[in-house]
Amino acid sequence: MRALCWNGVNDLRVETVPDPEIVNPHDAILRVTLSTTCGSDLHFIDGYLPTMKAGDIIGHEFMGEVVEVGRDVKKVKKGDRVVVPSFIVCGSCWYCDHQLWSLCDNTNPKPEYQQVAFGYPTAGIYGYTHAFGGYAGAHAQFVRVPYADNDCFLVPEGLRDEQVLFLSDAAPTGYMGADFCGIQPGATIAVWGAGGVGLMAMRSAYLLGAERVIAVDRFPERLAMAEKFVGAEALDYSQVESVVDVLREMTGGRGPDACIDAVGMEAHGTGPAYAYDRAKQALHLHSDRGQAVREAILACRKGGTLSVLGVYGLMDKFPLGAIMNKGLTLRTAQQHGQKYLPRLLEHVAKGELDPSFLATHRFSLEDAPKGYEMFKKKEDGCVRAVFTS
Amino acid sequence: MASSRTVALREVPPRDASSQEDLLPGRWSRAASTVVAGTLMSLGLRRRSLGGTVMALASGALLYQGLHSRKRAPSTGGRTALRRVSTGAEARREPLVEVERTITVGRPAEELYRLWSEPSTLSRLMAHFADVTSTRGGDGRHWQIHGPMGRELSWDSRIVEDRPPELHRWESTEDSPVKVQGQVRFKPAPADFGTEVTLHLAFSPPGGALGEALAKRMRGIPAMQVMKSLRRFKSLAETGEIPTLDHNPSARVSAD
Ligand SMILES: NC(=O)c1ccc[n+]([C@@H]2O[C@H](COP(=O)([O-])OP(=O)(O)OC[C@H]3O[C@@H](n4cnc5c(N)ncnc54)[C@H](O)[C@@H]3O)[C@@H](O)[C@H]2O)c1
Ligand SMILES: [Zn+2]
Ligand SMILES: [Zn+2]
Repeated sequence: MRALCWNGVNDLRVETVPDPEIVNPHDAILRVTLSTTCGSDLHFIDGYLPTMKAGDIIGHEFMGEVVEVGRDVKKVKKGDRVVVPSFIVCGSCWYCDHQLWSLCDNTNPKPEYQQVAFGYPTAGIYGYTHAFGGYAGAHAQFVRVPYADNDCFLVPEGLRDEQVLFLSDAAPTGYMGADFCGIQPGATIAVWGAGGVGLMAMRSAYLLGAERVIAVDRFPERLAMAEKFVGAEALDYSQVESVVDVLREMTGGRGPDACIDAVGMEAHGTGPAYAYDRAKQALHLHSDRGQAVREAILACRKGGTLSVLGVYGLMDKFPLGAIMNKGLTLRTAQQHGQKYLPRLLEHVAKGELDPSFLATHRFSLEDAPKGYEMFKKKEDGCVRAVFTS
Repeated sequence: MASSRTVALREVPPRDASSQEDLLPGRWSRAASTVVAGTLMSLGLRRRSLGGTVMALASGALLYQGLHSRKRAPSTGGRTALRRVSTGAEARREPLVEVERTITVGRPAEELYRLWSEPSTLSRLMAHFADVTSTRGGDGRHWQIHGPMGRELSWDSRIVEDRPPELHRWESTEDSPVKVQGQVRFKPAPADFGTEVTLHLAFSPPGGALGEALAKRMRGIPAMQVMKSLRRFKSLAETGEIPTLDHNPSARVSAD
């Protein structure tokens, strides 16, 4: 089959690779119908997330049609149209039982990497480093889905592919981020990053009852989307002296009740702190640039919630003192997609959520490297590049 | 590739694809002290440079000794020669490698005890470095580790203590080229966590400075293999299968 492979930093190529096969009894093979780019991919494309190997097939946000199932697959059937969360889960460990799906204990075949880095390994992901299992990704014609009964979600009739594709990753991530905020009536939620994840977090904050949502980014097209498709207020951080001051004034001097970081380790910024981060990151003395999350910590009202969705490695200059003294609640996780999928499908079916606006650009799988180039540089207002195989 | 590591070992293939470590020479490793990622990398590197093999539970020292004892006395015939070497070192024998690791499995002890004793279980848990088969009516086990260039090290073990559903203890038989002791214990965990499973392994390879040096170099790696075996056991017990990268497509020759 054809598949998009990572061959080194900023070196993606479509190559011919072997087809996946059923290897375990709970596996299914999907013909991938749509797959899409994610901001998380940029972290290893740019070389800041280690444990990629040349030849790895990438891609973890996708949907497809079931073409084959293993002998112990009970619910999923050949011909099903399904959307698949990016984290692979077993459905029977303690973490799965407690709805902490991305922490599943049984789906990372290479636990040694994370055991060293984090103390304990998390679940595996498709096409996203060997620390996360080394599984082949979904920017391919076919993909193997382990534990298919827990990882494939049947798409109801009447919903278009592009309406459900982002339920694989961007939408459940954003929804979880808003869920973390414990939104009360009248709440104001500020969201850093108006990419696919941030936009979904903003929309979800409204769905969960927020009164106001403020989008912080610098790309006019993305801020315009936040206003148009979500109804958020836009704050262009490149146009203001201090985001923290502006947010304080916008919220009667209190600060937002909760702040969501949907930016991650490659935050863009200005001033000496940014120069410091960039220099250290370039020297690989640390892996993260932390402008956005630091701002979010400072901006948040006392006793509020900081919800971190952005992906980080090791970051220094993390103002723990501000979190501690202001009594903030810190919530964070890789997305627990399996928890949110049923409710998200319902929101889409009822017309309360339509993530298809994220699909700004379409490419054939053969042109996927071009799609990533455009997505990475945010050219032509690209929010998500969608690939058809 | 049911056992990609074993295959890699037998053929000792050159690395066919560069990894990110190679593409960023020295950058990650330079920062290794401050960046956890660096630790990840160097772990991967070390693992690779050891051929991904020898990290067998038996440890490099063991394997090395086993292979060389055969080489040194080819004419006396395999088994006797091996026995001679191991008894010769008896006087200063001490466990060079001793590893204990625990994992919590979300199943009752009785069930786990039963699963562990099934003849096929050990071979599935250890598939990444050893072939384990049943001997003598299912009670004993025959262990076989593949070394470089088609060399093999093997021994028999038998159960020496059995306390269902708490404990299994086994030892290598007297005529084994290496002395191996192992035990697995099952203890109820609090709340809804299930059972705490502890795997303890001790190896006493024959003496020799080289053997000791090798064992030192490999410290930590057998522990990782014990941890991985326990994780495989957990996955098998909780889900009925073990996560794998067999037949995992990529633009490389190897699946993992
Ligand atoms: N937790 C999870 O499970 C999960 C899932 C998917 C993605 N992610 C992470 O979420 C983050 C966002 O993903 P995405 O796909 O939306 O990425 P993206 O690259 O499309 O969007 C990131 C946005 O952040 C903006 N930004 C950069 N610096 C900023 C700053 N200082 N202040 C405010 N905005 C800033 C950029 O302009 C961009 O619009 C990434 O770190 C990604 O790895 C996490
Ligand atoms: Zn993602
Ligand atoms: Zn699980």
